[in-house]
Amino acid sequence: MRPILLQGHERSLTQIKFNREGDLLFSCSKDHIINVWFAHNGERLGTYDGHNGTVWTIDVDSESRFLVSGSADNTLRLWSVQTGKCLYRWEFPTAVKRVAWSEDDSQVVCITEQRMGYQCAVRIFDIDREGDGTNQSKEPSSIFYPIGSKATLCSFAHVPNLILMGHESGKVALFDAKTGDEVLNNERAHMDVVTDLQLSPDRSYFITSSKDKTARLHETKTLTVLKTYTTETPLNSAAIAPGKPYVLLGGGQDAMSVTTTSLRQGKFETRFWHKIFEEEVGRVKGHFGPVNTIAVSPKGDCYASGGEDGFVRVHHFDESYFRAKPYGDLEIEE
Amino acid sequence: EDAAEESNISAELIAHRKRLVDEWNAWRTRVKAEMAEEQNRLGKKVESEADKQGEEEKEEIE
Repeated sequence: MRPILLQGHERSLTQIKFNREGDLLFSCSKDHIINVWFAHNGERLGTYDGHNGTVWTIDVDSESRFLVSGSADNTLRLWSVQTGKCLYRWEFPTAVKRVAWSEDDSQVVCITEQRMGYQCAVRIFDIDREGDGTNQSKEPSSIFYPIGSKATLCSFAHVPNLILMGHESGKVALFDAKTGDEVLNNERAHMDVVTDLQLSPDRSYFITSSKDKTARLHETKTLTVLKTYTTETPLNSAAIAPGKPYVLLGGGQDAMSVTTTSLRQGKFETRFWHKIFEEEVGRVKGHFGPVNTIAVSPKGDCYASGGEDGFVRVHHFDESYFRAKPYGDLEIEE
Repeated sequence: EDAAEESNISAELIAHRKRLVDEWNAWRTRVKAEMAEEQNRLGKKVESEADKQGEEEKEEIE
């Protein structure tokens, strides 16, 4: 595998995302900057400059026209992917921890942090796609306050008007986007903070990673756990590889606890697990600190990892990856 | 004997994996069918609303 090192961030990466075609990779970081790169050669196409705090989260729409970002500066911003201009900003009392587009690009969901007497809130905005994108409504189309454990992750679920969420307690839940009612939950999805949540292309299942050292595959409709991948290190990210029966997991003990843990735990590798057999099939080394975020190109031809070390590494799979059938000729459905 | 046992184990393992893949494929087939049905239902709903509007317009014309 041929890794490309993307150098353009000065601090740790918080989230990376491919666009739908897989030719562009977006990255955000604690250095307040959002970058966009060409996936095939790692060249930087541009930056989205304006946030005054850690950018925790980004998501790009399916047309690669609008980018949304959420930051510790308490703003949610809408950007023009092409020009790099900030088109609109929403301001909140606390930091924005996660953003996600709806499948049809008409809405954005975001989570703001519970802090300084403010509750954790989930807001859904209708995005006006007519004109240049600057004409947005200030008020969310709906807002709700999940009670109990803090929400850390959100996404639109398999059907419109359902929001899938991950929580600090290890809970995953489905919420009604309009009423804010918790429709379904799995309190024991994980035993510790849920750190990442990524859906399959058709949104019928999703993967979560957790500080409890496991990643899990769940059915979206029922929140039933389908598969569990048990590692020996706290996990920060998990992704589903399209076209191959693999999931990619990343994590590693943070610098503070490295001295108190075994050498193996401190290793900062991206792990490939067989999605169906729940067995590890390989590891890719490279980062000098924990892997914070992993994304696989929707085309399935490459993946990228963003580290605590401030680097993004893009790995293009070589031919042997596509030929490899580590467990024989069984035909596995996507 | 050891070799025989080993091949026995691998045969078991292969059977186990085959079963896991069969379970997964059966689940995927079921979910895909459910999703297609759901989309059909939503699609029909939109259509029937459009039909209704068409009918209303007709009534006005009359």
